[in-house]
Formats: sequence, structure tokens, C-alpha cells
Amino acid sequence: MSLIASYLPLVFVGIISLGFAPAAWLVSRFIRPYKPTKWMEETYECGSVPIGDARVQFRLQYYAYALIFVVFDLVVTFLLIWSVAYGGLSPMATVWMFLFLGILILGVAYSLKKEETIWI
Amino acid sequence: MVYSSILDWVNFPDIMANPYYPFETYNLPYDISQKLWEIIGGTIAWLINLLFPGNPVSEWLVCDMTVNFFALIIFMIVVFLVVFIGILISLWEERKVLGRTMDRRGTMVGMKGFLQCVADGFKTFMKEDTQPRKVDRMTYMWTVSLVIGTSMLIACMIPLSDRWYVVNYNTGLLLIMGLFALAPFFILVSGWSQNNKYSLIGGMRAAEMMISYEIPMLILIATACLMAGTFNIGGIVQAQYDTMPYFIPQCIGFVTFFVCANAEAERTPFDLAEAESELVEGWQTEYAGMKWGLIMLADYMRGYVSCAMITILYLGGWNLPFIGDLNNYVPELVFLLKTWLVFFAMIIVRAALPRVRTDQILNLGWKVFMPLSIINLVIVLLLKMGGVF
Repeated sequence: MSLIASYLPLVFVGIISLGFAPAAWLVSRFIRPYKPTKWMEETYECGSVPIGDARVQFRLQYYAYALIFVVFDLVVTFLLIWSVAYGGLSPMATVWMFLFLGILILGVAYSLKKEETIWI
Repeated sequence: MVYSSILDWVNFPDIMANPYYPFETYNLPYDISQKLWEIIGGTIAWLINLLFPGNPVSEWLVCDMTVNFFALIIFMIVVFLVVFIGILISLWEERKVLGRTMDRRGTMVGMKGFLQCVADGFKTFMKEDTQPRKVDRMTYMWTVSLVIGTSMLIACMIPLSDRWYVVNYNTGLLLIMGLFALAPFFILVSGWSQNNKYSLIGGMRAAEMMISYEIPMLILIATACLMAGTFNIGGIVQAQYDTMPYFIPQCIGFVTFFVCANAEAERTPFDLAEAESELVEGWQTEYAGMKWGLIMLADYMRGYVSCAMITILYLGGWNLPFIGDLNNYVPELVFLLKTWLVFFAMIIVRAALPRVRTDQILNLGWKVFMPLSIINLVIVLLLKMGGVF
């Protein structure tokens, strides 16, 4: 059995699971009514006429957290690889891993302490 | 070869003997599908052969490659239907239990209220579809299709037992978690595309949620994999059967993962992106009719996957302790029952707790769950070094 053949069931299940929602919308097009009015095509804003556009410059209040997240996501990737290979590694590898993790945790703790005054 | 009786066409050969068999080990849904195709295709082949003896079409319908192809088509329908019904049952469970916690009976239409889900499905199916003029049509449609599609795909990819699976790779857990974490990106883009202020805020909140719970969750998964020594879901379950369910040594991790899984599924204490009346359904504001119905269903799919992940990582998957070989009979049912049990706990949490604020979830994620998951990792490492596991 080749590697490609082993992916075949996933391909088939992918087809039905990714395709069933568009298929349902397509089929419901033949059943549902279609009477558009002016109000239905308006953007919803609790009954009032919408003011301006929603594609505005938006303040990302959690910007500092997003930066820490990007760094830590990479760390976790290393952690996952280390965890699954643990059985074949020397004790020194664990020490290095925790040194690496510890430095980053210290960094996160410091940045969180520093950002504490910023309102989220 | 002379074919006279129908039994020459429908003879149920061993599935592993088929050279195109796409799995390494025995697979129950594929077995069911192949037997179904033997019955359907064999009967058609027999009928055609009665009319036109010795024709090539009949031979083609029962040759190895054709059987494999049609068996795969039936396989995808079988897997899909089982997951779909499982999700409908968890939807029904939520309505009944949530009703009871509010001192009412929940849905009552047919089969103890189960048919209400079907009726709701038909209702949304026949609803008029409204689409505002100002939306970015391309991203509006694509993102919602992908949110629903990836949710359904991972729900199908969760193995129900070591014989009921779609893929059995050594990276199975990573594959599922990778697809599971995709939805917030689509929600962010979808919130922008709708050109609605509520949706924009909802999308931003989905991204914010993800950066707060994702790291502790991944650390906890790494911890479970450290204990089991593999990313293979079957391997993790087997490792728990050989030692003990991981919620005993990792009790801190179990509680943390439960809350993180709640956040990953965007269920009520953490449904910031949706926030029912606060944001007018958040990022779903402009989706109407069947689109909204399927988004709701995708929510329950994600809830189902979260519960299944908890069952796999902490509750011993499809095995029960102390009953030995009895585990071989209906492991699929055991797995689903455990999943629904975890879902019951999630419903209770939903009924009991109010929604967290946006700053609270960030502080929870980084100042509570993160340290807890690191402590859990250290405990597991000490146990591992001490030779307990």
C-alpha cells in the first residue's frame, strides 16, 4: 500500500465534509423564497440606518499579547517535538529544553508585568 | 468463469485481501461499506448478467478497483452520518439539560424532543437568504464554508475506536489540532468581510480569544504526548489503558484543558466572538437562513471535537478500566458516551457561569492557565524521571 493510497479515505471524507455546506445552500436555493426588499439589503444595525463604513482603522488593544503569542507559539512547537522524542533523548536535552522555556517564561512574565497598566 | 446464482456475485470477500485496501489495519466502517457495495453492486451485476450473459459491465462492477472506489464513497457517507447523528444528539442533550437547569423541560417535539433538531434544520433550510449589498461576497461565502467544512472534517477525523477511524497516522493528534485552530482566522476575515460593526468586533474578539487559550492548550497536549510518547491517538489511548487514565496524574492539566477546550469550542463562558445579545450574534450577524443554521451546527461540531479531545487525552478514550477483553465489543459506543458525559459537564458550566470580559480572558489565559500548564508539565516530567510512567 502506497502513501498516496493511505490518504484516499481522508480525501473522500474531505470532499463530503467540505462540500456538504455549499451543497445545502445550493439545494435550498430551489426551495426558499426570494423577495428582496430595500431593507433586507441594508447592513444590520439594530434598526437604525448604518452610519459610515465598518472597514475602519481598528485599535488592536491586545497587541502586546499578540506579540507574545507569536513568540510562544514557536516555543510550543519545539516543546511538542521534544515531548514526543523524549524517550530517545539524553537527560541533558531536558535541561536545555527547560532552560530555553524558562528564559522565555521570564520574558513573558516581565512583559506582562510591564503591560499591566495598559487597558485592554 | 460461469455465474449462475446471485451468490457468485455477492460473496463478501475478506476486505484485507483487496489489493487496493487503503488502511493498515482492520477498519470497521470500510468493512460495512464494502459489504453494502457487495450487496448493491452485486445485485445490479447479477441483474445485468441475467439480461445480457457474459457482458463486461457486470465483471467491472465487482472487480477489486471498482469495489474499492464505491466502498470508499459509502465509507465517507457512513462516517459522515455517524458523526452527524452524534452531533445532533449532543445538540439535543444541550437543549434538554439546559432546559432542566432553567427549571423547564426543554424541547418536547417527538422522540423526547430529538425531532426538534430535525425540524429546526428544515426550517432554516427553507428560510429566505438575505445578503446585504455592502458585503465582500467572495470572503463572505468562502470563510463561512471553510469554518463549517474544517469543523466537520475534524469531527469526522476523530477516531471512535482503534477500528473506526479515517486516518491512523503517527501525527494524527497534530493534524486534528492544526485544523481545529484554523477557525478563528476565518472568523476574523469573515467579520471584516461583512462590513458590519458588530461582526468586526466579533472577528477581532475571536482572534483575541485564540491568542489567550491556544498556548496553554498546546502545552497540555505536549504534556499528554510526553506521557504517552507518541502523537498517535490510538497510541495515547493504549498508553492510558496500560497505566491509568491521565486525569489522575494530570488533574491540574485536566481542569485547565477542560476550560481551554470550552474556549476553543467558543461555548458560553467564552463565547466572546458571538456574545448573543451583546453583539447581536457577533461575527454571524449578516448570515441568514441556511448559512446561519450550519454555523450553529458547526458550533456543536466544535463542541463535540473538544469533548472528544478531552476523552482521548484524559479519560482513556474508548477503553474502560477493569473489564479486560469486554472492551472489544462496542468501543465506539463507549467513546461516544464518554464524549457526551464531558459535554454534559460543559452544558452545566454554560448554565452556571456568566460570560467573561475581553480583558479577563487574556489575563486568565496568560496569568492562570499558562502557569498551571507549566506546573502540570513539570509534574509529569518529574513522574517520568522517577520512572512512574
